[in-house]
Amino acid sequence: MTYHFDWSVLWRGQAGAWLLQGLLTTLAISALAWLLALALGILAGALRTVRFTPARILAAAYVEFFRNVPLLVWMFFFYFAVPTLLPQPLQEWLYEHGAEFSAATAALGVYHGARFSEMIRAGIQSIPKTQLEAALSTGLSAAQAYRLVILPIALRLIIPPLTNETLNLFKNSSVALTIGVAELTFQTRQIETYTAKAIEALTAGTLIYLILCLAIARTMARVERRFAIPGMVGSGATEP
Amino acid sequence: MKRALILFATLFLLNLSSAFAETTLEKIGRGGTLTIGTRTGSPPFAYVDKNNRWVGFSIDLVEQFVAPAVSKKIGKTIKVAKKESAPPTRIPLLTSNAVDLIAETMTDTKERRESVDFSLTFFYTGAQFLVKKGSPITGIDSVAGKRVAAQQGATNARILRERVPTVKLVEFPDQPAAFQALAQGRVEAYTNDGIQLAGLKAKAPKPDDWAIVGAFYSNEPYGMAMRKNEPDFHNLVNQGLADAIESGKYFELYDKYFGSKGELPYPMTAEMKRLLQASAAEFRKAAGAQPAGK
Amino acid sequence: MDFGVIERNWSFLLGQGLVGIGGFAGGTLRLAVPALLLGFILGLFIGLARLARSRWVRVPATIYVELFRGVPLVMVIFWFWFILPFALDVALPEYGIALAAFVVFEAAYLAEIVRAGIQSVPSGQVEAALSAGLGQVQTMRYVVLPQALRNMIPALVTQFIVLFKDTSLASIIGYVDLTKAAQIVNNREIRPFELYLFIAVVYWLCAYGMSRYAGYLERRLATA
Repeated sequence: MTYHFDWSVLWRGQAGAWLLQGLLTTLAISALAWLLALALGILAGALRTVRFTPARILAAAYVEFFRNVPLLVWMFFFYFAVPTLLPQPLQEWLYEHGAEFSAATAALGVYHGARFSEMIRAGIQSIPKTQLEAALSTGLSAAQAYRLVILPIALRLIIPPLTNETLNLFKNSSVALTIGVAELTFQTRQIETYTAKAIEALTAGTLIYLILCLAIARTMARVERRFAIPGMVGSGATEP
Repeated sequence: MKRALILFATLFLLNLSSAFAETTLEKIGRGGTLTIGTRTGSPPFAYVDKNNRWVGFSIDLVEQFVAPAVSKKIGKTIKVAKKESAPPTRIPLLTSNAVDLIAETMTDTKERRESVDFSLTFFYTGAQFLVKKGSPITGIDSVAGKRVAAQQGATNARILRERVPTVKLVEFPDQPAAFQALAQGRVEAYTNDGIQLAGLKAKAPKPDDWAIVGAFYSNEPYGMAMRKNEPDFHNLVNQGLADAIESGKYFELYDKYFGSKGELPYPMTAEMKRLLQASAAEFRKAAGAQPAGK
Repeated sequence: MDFGVIERNWSFLLGQGLVGIGGFAGGTLRLAVPALLLGFILGLFIGLARLARSRWVRVPATIYVELFRGVPLVMVIFWFWFILPFALDVALPEYGIALAAFVVFEAAYLAEIVRAGIQSVPSGQVEAALSAGLGQVQTMRYVVLPQALRNMIPALVTQFIVLFKDTSLASIIGYVDLTKAAQIVNNREIRPFELYLFIAVVYWLCAYGMSRYAGYLERRLATA
């Protein structure tokens, strides 16, 4: 059975608009989830290095549980199961305001937060203990020491694995299509469904992902060069 | 840029390799298997039952009537393999050769006939709404501005959007997702063909919580879809179905699923019986006028 | 909250979903194990190719790795789902499509692990082997690869855990793995909390067990 190529479907009709919408949705989910993941990652990563045992155990439980379960399961869980646990008015509001997007962002952020935390933990642990001791001895509280001294250094040390994980987060945003989020891969399918031109649609989607991944990697490389700490190479922070 | 070039080159090479054409019957004969696209959540046409077995009226139609006709023609016993299909995926599955026949709850429409061929109609129903009991929605006249679920790619979504432009249509990839949305309150109604809604209601944990409302706002004749330009296969499928209707075996199967003791009691209307017998007769006349295939 | 749904369906969820025994084409392990083995073999060749002297070998291998590391696995699965049956002109079972997609995708990541493993062998070893009279291929076979493989094992186990989790995406094309089995039961019974929590725990047990094993391996190999 021969296949008839027709690349014009990509700009004729609605395909272009769909791809753009999908792209914007992908970027939106990725950006929001990244912020959530960073916040959770810093919190959990830092908590795993403190002396206070209950905090360490709580953080460890969060990390180990969320990390070892597939993202897809979390997407379904946040989309189908979690709303049923919320109070009724909140449920109503959620359904009116794009429950899929929130669930996908939450799942993506929480999952990658667990992964970020491992890198941040490794980064913190690779800083010589003397730094923390010195900070504490100048009168800073533990929280202040972390916020003003340790974390800034740790974050700059782990930029290479962080870049890798950021790319993973960006690519994983595609899993959101399973709960109905109209992101880029979903729109690729949509074009395929309406025009039956699978190769054209898939090529367009693939190229966009490749270009964006390249852009993200380049940006992070620039960030790394700008924020590099002279004398401290990004070592000791291995990928989970 | 280099990656893109390599990608395009590979794709063109792939396209060249598939220039040879094989008919569906040859393909089935070669593999010994008739692959059908069918649903997993549309009782009682195609669904997974309490024992986690994949069963259904549409599936049985193929296994009991179509497959034997194909086996007889090819000369060896054909197995039936099932793949899951849903409105957004079924035509791509067919055109990409992943399945040979779509046997589920697909409506035969003029537009779809541009991409696929349909068998004889094997069921007649119409579009309605499923709501929670006590809901103020009573039919197509009361859904303006309300959140209504529909399956992505199904006829109901398009028709409803045309008839009621203010409806807030929420599309789902398949029936279970839409039903869950209704159950959880995400939407206020779910529109689909009446018989499928009846199936859902009957199989729901608490059937009395649900009500099917509204007169048919569109007619939905179900047919089995197959690739175009396959006259031999098309004739065989229709032959299998026509034989079943004429011999009465179709009505026995109908009774098994829709009879008073069946999964979903839904007595056959005299109108539907007449339509089925008429289309079988029409097929016979048309088939009789042509030589018996190449 | 009614966990009875787990009680009634656990044999389907674990038997069909996790292992692959049942009336459907499925099984998480049935997909993950062959995918890892075949992916490793492919990854081994590509990893070696990445280090080859000749540009004709090195550049395609690099393109392969960069390509598959720059696209989501979901996209790769869709590529294979649409193109493979069409290109080979035969209706493929979901298992074949999923396996092919996973092998090709994971091979890109495994190739990087292979490359890192080979590069972690001190160059003194290679020099010593060559000066002892061994040829290039012999050096690779008898000196470099054995050491490289040992170095790679912890990273390989980690990648297997990743692959194990990634198999859940096969459910998108209808392969009845653990996630899809839960979906099938949920579609009928509508108990998402109980079902998805159950499979989360099953996945966690398997993955956590494997990561503990990876830690054990790392400790044992570090002694040498």
